[in-house]
Amino acid sequence: MDLTYSEADEQFRAEFRAWLDANLPAEWRQRGFWSRQDRDEGFAMRREWEASKARAGFAGIQWPKEYGGRGGTPAQRAIYDEEMVRYRAPLTVNGLGLTFLAPTLMVIGSDEQKRDIIKPLLHNEVIWCQGFSEPNAGSDLAALQCRAEPDGDEYVINGQKIWTSQAMHSDKMFGLFRTSTEDKKHRGITMLIVDLRSPGIDIRPLKQMTGATDFGEVFFTDVRVPKSNVIGVEGGGWDVAMLLLSFERGASAMPQYTGFRRELDDIVGLARDLGRDQNPLLRQRIASSVVELECLKYHSLHVLTQVEQGKELGAASSMTKLQWSETHQDIGELFADVAGLGHQVSGDGVDDLQRSYLWSRSETIWGGSSQVQRNIVAERLLGLPR
Amino acid sequence: MFFSLTDEQRALRSTVRELLADRFPLSAVRALYDDDGSDGDPAELWKAIGEQGWLAVLIPEDHDGLGLGLLDAAVLARCWGEGCVPGPFLPTLVAAEAIRLGGSAEQKSSWLPRVAAGEAKLTLAHGGRVTQADGKLSGTVHHVEYAHVADALVVAADGGRLWLVDPRGAGVTVTVTKALDRSTVLTTVVLEGAAGQELPGAVLPDVLDRGAVLYANDLAGVARVALDRTVDYDKTREQFGRPVGSFQAIKHALADLHVAVTMAEHAGWYAAHALDAGLPDAALAVSVAKSKAGDAAREATAAMIQYHGGIGYTWEHDAHLFFKRAKRAEYQYGDPAEHRERIARLVVDGA
Repeated sequence: MDLTYSEADEQFRAEFRAWLDANLPAEWRQRGFWSRQDRDEGFAMRREWEASKARAGFAGIQWPKEYGGRGGTPAQRAIYDEEMVRYRAPLTVNGLGLTFLAPTLMVIGSDEQKRDIIKPLLHNEVIWCQGFSEPNAGSDLAALQCRAEPDGDEYVINGQKIWTSQAMHSDKMFGLFRTSTEDKKHRGITMLIVDLRSPGIDIRPLKQMTGATDFGEVFFTDVRVPKSNVIGVEGGGWDVAMLLLSFERGASAMPQYTGFRRELDDIVGLARDLGRDQNPLLRQRIASSVVELECLKYHSLHVLTQVEQGKELGAASSMTKLQWSETHQDIGELFADVAGLGHQVSGDGVDDLQRSYLWSRSETIWGGSSQVQRNIVAERLLGLPR
Repeated sequence: MFFSLTDEQRALRSTVRELLADRFPLSAVRALYDDDGSDGDPAELWKAIGEQGWLAVLIPEDHDGLGLGLLDAAVLARCWGEGCVPGPFLPTLVAAEAIRLGGSAEQKSSWLPRVAAGEAKLTLAHGGRVTQADGKLSGTVHHVEYAHVADALVVAADGGRLWLVDPRGAGVTVTVTKALDRSTVLTTVVLEGAAGQELPGAVLPDVLDRGAVLYANDLAGVARVALDRTVDYDKTREQFGRPVGSFQAIKHALADLHVAVTMAEHAGWYAAHALDAGLPDAALAVSVAKSKAGDAAREATAAMIQYHGGIGYTWEHDAHLFFKRAKRAEYQYGDPAEHRERIARLVVDGA
């Protein structure tokens, strides 16, 4: 057991902090700052700030240098994540591209795709969204129906995608489309790149229960896409999707730990302000959340160790997801119980906690619902029969 | 950054598991349940522990020990839980920590080498009301593990001071009580002007933390085996023409338990390391580990009964061995609610 970081890793931390100190405006770090910004302007500000961070070399921490990355270690990636949360730096505007598309292309992309997509993505020249879910294909993703009919050198797409995060601000989509209805359900699916400026695309925002419109619906009517936009091979989209989703698994949950722990501190502060911090039942609940969060930290250190040793995490990432998403929901309920009816009322600094409280309801659905995760843990880790 | 067991620690774990399974399997634990005349301290087991040098793990090298850390001891404690292993092994480790941390040079050299060699059994008597006057101790301590076979008691008196007491000395009465869990023996120690030898160091809080960490790791072992055995059973037990483990009502509960038990395992490691390395969050880590392990073991062993169905409720099935041990250790060195209150003092009150 050795929980210290190497000298090189600590050096990286010092450099990154120095950059953040110099380049992250103080007011951006205040609670509620981003909720006061106009949605589109706020996005543009974050997009440009993130690009400047990339130009300074603080992006693609673990990516090879040939793709514009830093060529750093898994520990440096964890340090980066931790510091971003600690500084309340704005979250990435290109998360789906960074987490999923770029690592996938590094493995199976064509030379042109690697060259044309990865670096511009890192510098936010192109913002990406992911087109997977459809109205009738949620947890059962392979039931997707959005059709891409082969037609000469092109496909013609008709159908709909839904719950598309960042749809309104994205330039391009990587998505799964049905290119053949002859095959079995998991075959006949192809991953395609779609330029969202193409004729025949209609993007409509979806308002969430927080009141924000972070995702939307994308409708396709005779949208033409060149066949060179296939990622992998035609009909091989399911395998590409599985590869793509596996890149989420290498991630430790240190950012969630750091963020949720800070949220819990805010709730403790609220309990003090309301004179409820000596209520024995609330104290037990606060402590329970601390227990689960600290366990998440220890677990993340273990995950990080395994990643550094080059081990495949596979289905174990479902445990990580269950632990952080379910714990975050408990923290949301704790906030409501501490605030009482006050949790309904906006203003006076509870806005961030309110948003987080509502948002936590989505976290056990997106990225594989808790029910799907429990099936994965039970079947792949415990070996229980289907 | 390395959060895992070393190769040496894994090798130690394999050795301990194999030897315990070979020399002291659950059938031997069961024999204690069925033998009302037993003293609950199998001689052949204690002999094997001494031969293997497992009691030497925390004893410094200059007292003939191995001078290893609490994490190494935690590896052993987890094996103890996995096999519901009886005997005064953990009580001796904890009480010896009191002497190592708080004893005089003479107390250390008279006890620690004997502990390391497996020649002395110790136990910690704490949580009672014991007063002291002129070096004489009076009071009653309940639920003391294995005082009836101990060579020395480490008694916590009012004011938090620790005293070495001869359990066979004048003014000391040890009464064995029958516990639900027969993988331990709980006794009542009555002191009536008993002679005591004070430990110079005020180390009770440290000792209790170390006890909490060792029992948390024991509990993690109990929980893991209870879960594994339940999963194995539900893979093959059929009802309605299919394995019951294919039903999501069971599958999802077992998946949640796997997450909880994994967290308890990692918390047990972290807390032991935090004390070894003197990390600033060590106190928090101890309470996280003990409360998480207590809850996870209670839930996993209860699930072991439930998801075995009727057979799980019988005397002949092993489920109650795990269930009773989990419930017993849940209350040793602080129960989950007590540890959560301590966490609240640390986090809410900033204590």
